[in-house]
Amino acid sequence: MGTYITRRLLQSIIVILGVTLLAFFSLHLGGDPTYLYVSERASEQEIIETRQKLGFDRPLHEQYLSFVVGLARLDLGDSLRARKPALDLVFERLPATLELTLFAMILSTLIALPIGIIAAMRRGSPLDGGIMLVAMFGQSVPGFWLGLMLILSVGLGLRWLPISGHVPVLQPLFTGDFAAAIGNVPEAIRHLIMPGLTIGVFSLSRNARLVRSSMLEVLSQDYVTTARSKGLAERVVITRHALRNALLPVVTLLGLEFGFLLSGVVVTETVFSWPGVGRLVFNAINQRDIPLVLASVVSFSFLFIILNLIVDVLYVQLDPRIRLK
Amino acid sequence: MSRRPFIALLLGLALLLTALPLGAQTPDETTIVIAQTVDVGALEPALVNSRAESNIFNHMFATVYEISEQGTLEPHLANSYSISEDGTEWTFTLNEGLTCHDGEALTAEDVAYSFNRAKDPANAFTGNTSGFVFPSIGFIEARADSELEVTIVTDRPQSEAVRLGLISEVYVHCMDYYSSISLEEAAENPVGSGPYRFVEWIRDDYVLIEKVPGYTLRDPFFEKIYWRVIPEASTRTAELIAGNVDVIANVPPDQVDAINNSGTATVKAVQGTRRMYVGYQFGEAFANEPGAEAIAKTEVRVALQYAVDVPTICTQLLGTECERAASMVNPPNGNPALEPYPYDPAKAEELLDAAGYPRGENGVRFEITLQGPRGRYLNDANVVLAIGQYLSDVGVQTNVEILDWSSEYVPRIREKNVGPLFFLGTGGATWAALYDMADLSAPDAGTNYTNWNNAEWFELWDQTAGKSPEEERELINQMLEIMYNDPPWLFLYFQPDFYGVSNRLEWTPRRDEQIGVLSATLQ
Repeated sequence: MGTYITRRLLQSIIVILGVTLLAFFSLHLGGDPTYLYVSERASEQEIIETRQKLGFDRPLHEQYLSFVVGLARLDLGDSLRARKPALDLVFERLPATLELTLFAMILSTLIALPIGIIAAMRRGSPLDGGIMLVAMFGQSVPGFWLGLMLILSVGLGLRWLPISGHVPVLQPLFTGDFAAAIGNVPEAIRHLIMPGLTIGVFSLSRNARLVRSSMLEVLSQDYVTTARSKGLAERVVITRHALRNALLPVVTLLGLEFGFLLSGVVVTETVFSWPGVGRLVFNAINQRDIPLVLASVVSFSFLFIILNLIVDVLYVQLDPRIRLK
Repeated sequence: MSRRPFIALLLGLALLLTALPLGAQTPDETTIVIAQTVDVGALEPALVNSRAESNIFNHMFATVYEISEQGTLEPHLANSYSISEDGTEWTFTLNEGLTCHDGEALTAEDVAYSFNRAKDPANAFTGNTSGFVFPSIGFIEARADSELEVTIVTDRPQSEAVRLGLISEVYVHCMDYYSSISLEEAAENPVGSGPYRFVEWIRDDYVLIEKVPGYTLRDPFFEKIYWRVIPEASTRTAELIAGNVDVIANVPPDQVDAINNSGTATVKAVQGTRRMYVGYQFGEAFANEPGAEAIAKTEVRVALQYAVDVPTICTQLLGTECERAASMVNPPNGNPALEPYPYDPAKAEELLDAAGYPRGENGVRFEITLQGPRGRYLNDANVVLAIGQYLSDVGVQTNVEILDWSSEYVPRIREKNVGPLFFLGTGGATWAALYDMADLSAPDAGTNYTNWNNAEWFELWDQTAGKSPEEERELINQMLEIMYNDPPWLFLYFQPDFYGVSNRLEWTPRRDEQIGVLSATLQ
C-alpha cells in the first residue's frame, strides 16, 4: 500500500506541473496583464515601469521557471493586487469553500440515499416515478438559475433564510476559538442551506438515481433472495445485505463528486456572495492576478488528487475483492 | 430502509429550520449597508485602482481638498492654498487641531509624508496616485514648511482646477504609524485620517468602518458603514428589497421595475460623468483597413454623427432618458454654443453622398468594422450592435466585433490597436472641463486612443497652463468647437448610473460614480 501511495503522489506532481503549465500559458494568451494594473490615463513610461514592477517584462519561460522553483519551496509569489503571499490568500478562503462543499456533499448524500432506496423498493410505483422525475429535473437545471430562484422564493418571498453572506465555523475552529465555532453553527447552517442545495442538487439527483439502480441490481442477486428466504425482516435484508454492496459505486463517485462540487463553487459563491476560493479565483482571473490564479489552481489540483487517493484506498477497504496490483 | 427513519430525518431538518431565528438581519438605525460589486484588493489607499476601493477610502482617509457631493472642489484638511509666482509650488495651510485615528496630531509633516510615500519607487505602488495623479500634475516632491504648511512641488504650471482636483484624490496617511510598519502590515491594518475608522475586513464579504468620535471636520449621521460585496446583480436587488441593504450600485435596467414596485426601495438614476463614444481610429496601422480612408475625412465623421439615434438607444437599451453629448466635456462645463448633433439619417446620407461615398448597387457606401467590449459598460454589447445597425442603415456596412473586456479589449485599447471604429467610455468629472479634455492632451497621450492629431487643438491645449479662469474658459470653448467640427469621436451620451436606494434613507447619488454617504440620513 505504501508503494502504491508513493507512486500515486509522484504521478500527482507531474499532473500538478501539467496543470500549472496550461494555466500559466493560457493566462498569458490574453495579452499583457499590466494594463489592468495601471490607470486609464497612465503614460507609456508608467506602463513600462509598472510592467517591470510586476515582473511581466521578463521572457515567459523565465517567469514560468521561477514559478516552478517557487512551487518546490511552496512559495507561489505574492498576489499582484493584495500584496500578500498568494497561497496565504487561498488558505484564508479555503475554510469557507470547504464548509460549502462538505455541506453540499452531506446534504446530497443524506437525501439521495433514502430516496434512492425508497425508489428502488417501490420500483414502478407512482412514488418511484415522482422521485425519478424530480431527480431528472435536478440534473438538468442550471445551478445559477436554481440559486436565483431559491433567493427569490425562499430568501425574499418567504424570508425563511438569509439571501446571501456567510457565517464562519471552520475558520474559528482552525484558530482554536471553539466557542465561536459552536456558537456560529445555527446561523451558519441557515446561510449554508440555499448555496449548499444549489451546488448539491446535481449530485443529489445523480446519486439518488445511482443508488436506485445499484440497489435494484443488488436486490436481484441470489444472496438477497437467500436472505429473504431465510425469513429475515426486509429492513435487515436491505441494511445488512443489500446496502453495503449497493453503496460501492456511490463511494467511488463521492471522490469525484468533491472535485465536481469544487468546480461548481465559482458560480454559486458569486450568486450567494460567499467569500470562498471560487470567488477568489473568479476575481483573480478577471484581474489576471496570475500568481493568485496559479496558487488556486495548484491548491485545487492538490486537494483533488489527495481526495481521489483517499477514495481509492477506501474502496479497497470496502471491497476486499479488489486487489492492488 | 423503512419509511420511519426517512420521515424522522425530514422532521428533524424541519425542526432545525424552525428552531433557528427567522428573517435576515436588517440594519439598525445607526448603521448603513452599501453593496458593491467588488472588494478592495488591500486596505492600502496607495494601491487604489477601482471606484469600489476609493468609495471606502474616501470615508476613512481625508484629503487636503475634496470633491464635494455636488462635484465642486472644497477645502477639507486644508483651509486655503497659495501658488508660487511661477505656478509650480502649491502651499496648503492645514486646519488646527487635526488628529489621526491613532490619536496622533495630524500636521503638515503627515501630508508631505503621504505624498512622498506614494511616489517612492521602493514602495512600488501601482495605484491611482502614483500611476495617474502624480504624472498628471508633474509632481516632484512635498515638503513640510511649518507645522501647518505643506508645499507640493511640481515641474510645471497647470490649470488651477485640474491640479486641485487631482490633489484632492491623494489620501493623507499618518506618518508615525505608517513609517513604523511594513507595507504588508499597512495593507491589512489601516490607520486613517477621515471621519470613519477601520473596524473589520472579511475578504470578499464586507469592510466595516465606524464613526470617529470628535472628528471636527464632518459629523455624519450613521455610526457604522458596512461595505458589503455582492457581485451578482439579482442578489443585490433581492437584498435591497428585503431591507438588508440600503444602497446598491449598478442596477441593471431590467430590475428597475422590481425595485420600484417593492415598496421598500426605489431606483435613482443620475447622468454620470463617464463619456461614451465611438472612436475613429487614425492610426497608421489601420490605414489599409476597410473604411479607414473614409473616416479619415472630416465630412464623413460629421455625417456619421447624424446617423445614430442616441435618445432611442438610451430609452430602449439603458432604460432611461438621456441627451446626446455635444462634446467630450461633462455638462455644465461644455461650450454652451454647441448643440448636440440631432438624429437625422437623411442628412447623414446627404453628407455622405457629398463626401464622395454614394451608395453602390448593393446599397453599400463602404464597409467598416466596429469593435466593442462586453461586460464593462451598461448594456455595452447591445449598444454597440445598435450603433452598428444605425450606421448600416445609412449605407455604411458595419461589421460589429464584440470582445471580452479584460483579456482582449483592455490590451488592444492601451496599445491603440482597436478600430477603425471602437466603442469606449472614459471617466470624467464635473469640477473642470480641462480634466475631461485631458484624454486628448497630446497627439501621443496614452488616452488619445484614436491617434487624432488636430494641430489647432493641440496648440491651444498647450496655451491653457497657468491661465486665469476666464482666459481658460475662452480657450476651452474654442477647442470644443474645433472638436465639434473635426470630431475624433462620434459623441454618444454620458453613461447613466442606477442606484437602488432603501426608502428609509435620505440620500442623493453623485454623478461621478462615487458612493459617498457622509450626508445621508434616515427619512
